[in-house]
Order: sequence, then structure tokens, then C-alpha cells
Amino acid sequence: MTVILTGPEIVSQHRKRRILIDPFDENAVNPNSYNFRLGDRLKVYDSFPVDPKVPNSCSEIEVPRGGYVLEAHRLYLAHTLEQLGSPYYAPTFAARSSVARLGLFINLSASLGDIGFFGQWTLQLFPAHPVRLYPGMRIGQMMWWQPVGEIAIYDGKYQGSKGPTSTLIHRDFEVREPDGVEVVG
Amino acid sequence: MILTGAEIEREVGRSRIVIDPFQPTQIEPNSYGFGLSPHLIVYHDEVLDARRAPAARSLELSGEGAILEPGTLYLGSTVERLGSPHYAATLYARRSVSTMGMWIQYSAPLGHMGAVICWTLEIRVAHPVVVYPNMLIGKIAFWAVSGRAIPYRGRYRGSVTTVASRLADHDEEAE
Repeated sequence: MTVILTGPEIVSQHRKRRILIDPFDENAVNPNSYNFRLGDRLKVYDSFPVDPKVPNSCSEIEVPRGGYVLEAHRLYLAHTLEQLGSPYYAPTFAARSSVARLGLFINLSASLGDIGFFGQWTLQLFPAHPVRLYPGMRIGQMMWWQPVGEIAIYDGKYQGSKGPTSTLIHRDFEVREPDGVEVVG
Repeated sequence: MILTGAEIEREVGRSRIVIDPFQPTQIEPNSYGFGLSPHLIVYHDEVLDARRAPAARSLELSGEGAILEPGTLYLGSTVERLGSPHYAATLYARRSVSTMGMWIQYSAPLGHMGAVICWTLEIRVAHPVVVYPNMLIGKIAFWAVSGRAIPYRGRYRGSVTTVASRLADHDEEAE
């Protein structure tokens, strides 16, 4: 019973176009995961509190080749350089252990993705102390899990994301009031 | 193996997974989206002692919501009772919530099979964030298991709301 895919299985599924990784580099394959790279753009919220009912304004930061120092205890939205996804397997992602050992979260308790999402993943970088990051560095790893049951492909609001994507949660409030009453929106 | 959304819905229909209340619109490709209950807890001991029950105060969210502040741990809970005696569970923030700068648990995503409860969430924010009662905050995934199942008899069985740490309770078996 297949549960988590091995590295060679990720390669084989990539060849069959059942796992999509673009660009793909066979050297980035681990025993149970694929190492993805950090893109060159970051996004930070610039007005607080962040309110889920309204669009929240952000500023973008370009990460120079010489690196960029993230401040401790500040949220930076980042993105994977690659587009990744699979219409057949459920993805989860984690920091590489070498990155975690620098004191960096790459997601905030949100490691589960959706079957059928394909795009650049938005990372939530949150450092324990100042850390310099470089564009293109291998920062995290994607894993794929065999599902059981009929598959319905993700068609949510983040499908096909490019670059760091700040929350679009306000759209939920346009169609679904917090008390669960459906409102035509 | 992780259950697809369709499989979660099928197992809810067969009463092998409990999601109460259940909204088919909250089915995701491989998880179910859950809401934030209005009942939060904040500790007010300066030092938490692993051997003593922590002093805590309640914080009820009104419809206008509340601003959560960085540096404070808020315990929250799922609106729904969720769980299954047949599948293990894991809980996550929704991407829309984590990208707002919010955690919903602290390195403890695994839920025991057999625990059918309102799950207590460990909420922290990177910067001030507004939360509203009943907003969709996280998602629960269910995993097929291998091996003989044993019932959950832990100290959080039967939880129907936010529950502070009971680590200091010595009268029940260790988890």
C-alpha cells in the first residue's frame, strides 16, 4: 500500500506527467521528497491589523543576488521558484531541515496542499532571529501522498498562483457570511 | 493513505467519520474546512508550570471580531465536533489564514483516531490580526491506518469547547 512517495517514484511520476515540477532537476530529489527553491520576490503586509474581511495592502521586496536579511519575528510571504503540483497525489511541504536549523519557519501550521493545485507555492517565512536568504536557494521540500477515494481537482482561488500571494480570504466573506448563511456574491 | 474530499463525505454519510455540523461546501480536495468557535482562552500565569493547572481567562468573540496580538498564545477551538474511530487525523491552518500571519497549532498536528471532539487550537499571530467567530480557519485531513485500532481514552475525550492544557492532571493515563 503506497503511502508517501519515494524520491525515485516522484521521478517516475514526473516522467508520466502525473506529478508536475517546473523547472525539474533530478539532483533535487530526496529519499521521500523534492527540494524546491526560493523565488526572488517577497511580500510584506504594511498595514495592521490584517483583517480577513477586507483586502490588505502589501509591499513587495526584490531579493538581490547578494541576499536579503529577514528581520526576526516578522512575516514575509515568499514563493517557490518552481511551479509544483499533482492531479493524482496530495502534497505536503516542509522546510529543509538545514533551513529549520537556521530558525526559519517556511509555513505557519499550513503544510497541507490540495490535489490538483499547480503553481508557485506561497511560503510563509518567519525567522526566529535575523537570517540572510538568497534567491534560488533550496529552502523546502514537497512530499506527495497516495489518496483513497474519488478525486476532485482543486479549483480554488489560488489556482495557478505566480509569485508571493497574500491572503484572498476576504473573498470568502463575500460569498459566505461568518454565521454560515449563504449570500449571493 | 489520505482521504479525498469525496471519500470524507462518503464516510460521513456512513457514520464512520463524524463532522458535526457538516456542510458539503466545506469539503476540500483532500480535507474538510473547519470554523473557529467564539470561545478563546488566554493564560494569565507569568510562568506556566507543567505540573500545575494553568490559570486562564475566557475571551468570547463577538460578531465584530477581535484583534489578536503577537506574543500572546490564544487557545481556540473548532466549531465542529470532528473525528473518527477508523482514521487518524491531522489539522492545519488554511492557506488563506497562514498567509495572514496566523498559526493554528504549535507543532502538534496529529489527532488520535477515536477522538471525536471539538479540537483545541493553539493560535499565535505574527502581527495583529482580526478574527471573527465561525470564520473558516483550518482544515482537517483523515488518514487510513495500518494495524489494530485501540480506543482513545485520553484526557481530552468528550471536549466540546476550548480546553486548556491538562498536562498537570495525574489521575489519568499518560498520553
